[in-house]
Amino acid sequence: MNPIEFVREQAPFHLLPDEALHQVERGLEITFYPRGSKVLARNGPKSEHLYMIRKGGARLERDGQPVLHLEEGELFGYPSLLSQDAPAFDVVAEEDLLVYRWPWAVFQKLLGYPAFAEMFTRGLAESLRLSTRAEGLGLVNVDMALPVGELVTRPPVFVPRSFTVGEAAQVMRSHQISSVLVEGEPTGILTDRDLRNRVLAAGKGPDTPLQEVMSAPAKTLPASTPLFEALSFMVRQGIHHLPLEQDGQIIGLITDTVFMRQQTKSPLYLLRRLERTRNPGDLAGYGQELSGVAESLLLGGLGASEIGRSVSALNDQLVRILLELAEERLGPPPTPYAWIVFGSEGRMEQALLTDQDNALVYQQDAPETAAYFEQLADFVVNGLIQAGFPPCPGGYMATRWRKSLSEWEQLFRHWLEAPKPQELLEAQIFFDFRAVHGELSLEPLERILAQGAEKGIFLAQLARASLQFRPPIGFFRQIKEEDGGVDIKKGGIAPIVSLARVYALEARSLAKGTVERLQAAARENKLSQDGAETLIEAFGFLMRLRLREQLVALRRGETPSNKVPLESLSPLERRHLKEAFSQVREMQEAMSHRFHTDRLG
Amino acid sequence: MKLWPFPKSPAWNEVIYWALDLETSGLSHDDQILSVGMVPIRKGIIEFGAHYYSLVRPIRPGALSAEGIKAHHILPGELDSAPPLEQVLEEIKARIGHGALLLHYSSVDLSFLQRYFRATGKPWVRPVVVDTVVLLARLGERRRQLEPHAKPFPTGLAAARATFGLPGHLEHHALWDALATAELFLVLRHKLQARTLRQLI
Repeated sequence: MNPIEFVREQAPFHLLPDEALHQVERGLEITFYPRGSKVLARNGPKSEHLYMIRKGGARLERDGQPVLHLEEGELFGYPSLLSQDAPAFDVVAEEDLLVYRWPWAVFQKLLGYPAFAEMFTRGLAESLRLSTRAEGLGLVNVDMALPVGELVTRPPVFVPRSFTVGEAAQVMRSHQISSVLVEGEPTGILTDRDLRNRVLAAGKGPDTPLQEVMSAPAKTLPASTPLFEALSFMVRQGIHHLPLEQDGQIIGLITDTVFMRQQTKSPLYLLRRLERTRNPGDLAGYGQELSGVAESLLLGGLGASEIGRSVSALNDQLVRILLELAEERLGPPPTPYAWIVFGSEGRMEQALLTDQDNALVYQQDAPETAAYFEQLADFVVNGLIQAGFPPCPGGYMATRWRKSLSEWEQLFRHWLEAPKPQELLEAQIFFDFRAVHGELSLEPLERILAQGAEKGIFLAQLARASLQFRPPIGFFRQIKEEDGGVDIKKGGIAPIVSLARVYALEARSLAKGTVERLQAAARENKLSQDGAETLIEAFGFLMRLRLREQLVALRRGETPSNKVPLESLSPLERRHLKEAFSQVREMQEAMSHRFHTDRLG
Repeated sequence: MKLWPFPKSPAWNEVIYWALDLETSGLSHDDQILSVGMVPIRKGIIEFGAHYYSLVRPIRPGALSAEGIKAHHILPGELDSAPPLEQVLEEIKARIGHGALLLHYSSVDLSFLQRYFRATGKPWVRPVVVDTVVLLARLGERRRQLEPHAKPFPTGLAAARATFGLPGHLEHHALWDALATAELFLVLRHKLQARTLRQLI
């Protein structure tokens, strides 16, 4: 096969019209890299070419850790080229490598073909992710997208189900391991934590049957699960040992120490710290550690929504621990309740500490109930303040928002049936509620919300509320900067969040996350697939950009804000920002037409 | 640029190499050049965009067999409209006057070039010649010093390329054979760890 035939078969070159092939051919250079040599160096000179592997394989590495394998026909070097920034990875020849490449000037001409260019600009968030500048943000040493099975270092150790605790402990000692798996169906697990908490502390002896104290079925995940998902699973489940499964077999087990060896800023490390909390005073410094976790996840190459989920899982855990401490002090609750979070916490889109948004729902109103929950809310809200969550300036906290379920139902119905614009503007964040702790089911509230979709006036008012903030972009698509930079929350994130809320309610979806909402709306044809993808992309880009800038601010000892100075962005990021803003504006216009918001009183 | 003799041999990648391949109607004295392909290597990078490829209008059209022509992916009609040999030789000369000539099996192509340069009354430019078959033999010899029973490397262009993991190519086409030679050269240069031009000739 001749070079041009080969190139033409590779994406996105297959999208080029025939007339462009002449440029592809004239600009083609061919080079050879022996195995082990570096084609591009992380933080080295910026890339000057678009590269395509003709024969052989290469890998992207960061600090000697492989991040991605590239094969024949795959492209590299362009994130650095597009951002005019140093490469974010080493590109190392895995075998002798025959590489085709095109100089920047040729690539630029080819970018004039929209279909071709789209592939490079489309993965907005993706390419930003690849080009994240790591200077001054510390080191990352683990690839969060790695299949978790690759961290397994030894085969699992099983003991018979008939063993006593003492026998199991001997096996653990002789293998120097902190847990054993238990044979039989379903597979059980016994950890040194169980030996302490369920045996010794419970006053039991070594003759206790293993079956009495083990956990079965043991919680497992497939070995192919990405590391970050395994991490957040362990945080959510509150487990420290995770058996991994492949083809129906347990192939090994990872413990949280594996992660901690890899990085002290891991979510599990912070989880351990949370679990040691005995009183709210122990929580000082949590906020700082949390931003360290967010930072290391960002550098590990995770997207904003994964980071948001991981951070929210930790914050949920914090709330649960505070509530358990409160219940220990105040005694069991007089009636079932639910602690709810809303706003960005409810949507699991929080990456750094933001204002608290929480409330309490309890089942029955009784004289002693009010007093109990007042103390409970005080304890938790103050605990959160000690952990570093500033109180909500709007007062949306359980210390004030504490009602019985029937009162909440009335309130929701009021918002739905007789929506007043100003009220709804404030109330819309309640529609992102999520229960974090407690026995009480919030199904009645979900049901009311789902019915709201049938009320045209409610959706129309909500649509109008979603148009409150407009992207700061002029008629000729120039970005308008205020003092201190562009407000990407007001200009982009908040509008997308509210658009997604309207679309999801219209689609009768109970999803809370913005991405999930947009996906659900596209599934129900309330929004085109393209429209959903565009907004999701723009959202991921803006969230990540904001997180990065906020982390930089924290590093400098400044207060993180939602404003990003334009001059701190690379030309490519500026282009993406402009693109994201104009897309938000277009979607807002579509929303306005759809609900005739101009005709609302 | 006069490359040889050189007081100190230039670094291998300071030299421009022109990989060249000829397709001919046969190997005997009265056979003709049908097409020529040339690809330059500058600073150790193959600049494919600067390649030269041309068919050659035959001097004696009757002498060409239909099979021979087909094997070279050339149609008889294409040859009629091709530039005459003198013009093509001029193009070749203009290029190899500025660098080393890179050939696979240099003796065959060299004898054709010398013969037709002489026949058209042009002085032969006598470039420095690098031959990938010679490099293959040298590498094979080196290997035999360590592994006495190792077989020599295959000398056919496609087989030699396959040995070093290079992809298959369209054979018996002047341009793609020239490019194939250039790629093979880059690999052999590395395997021989040659640093100067002198170590490659």
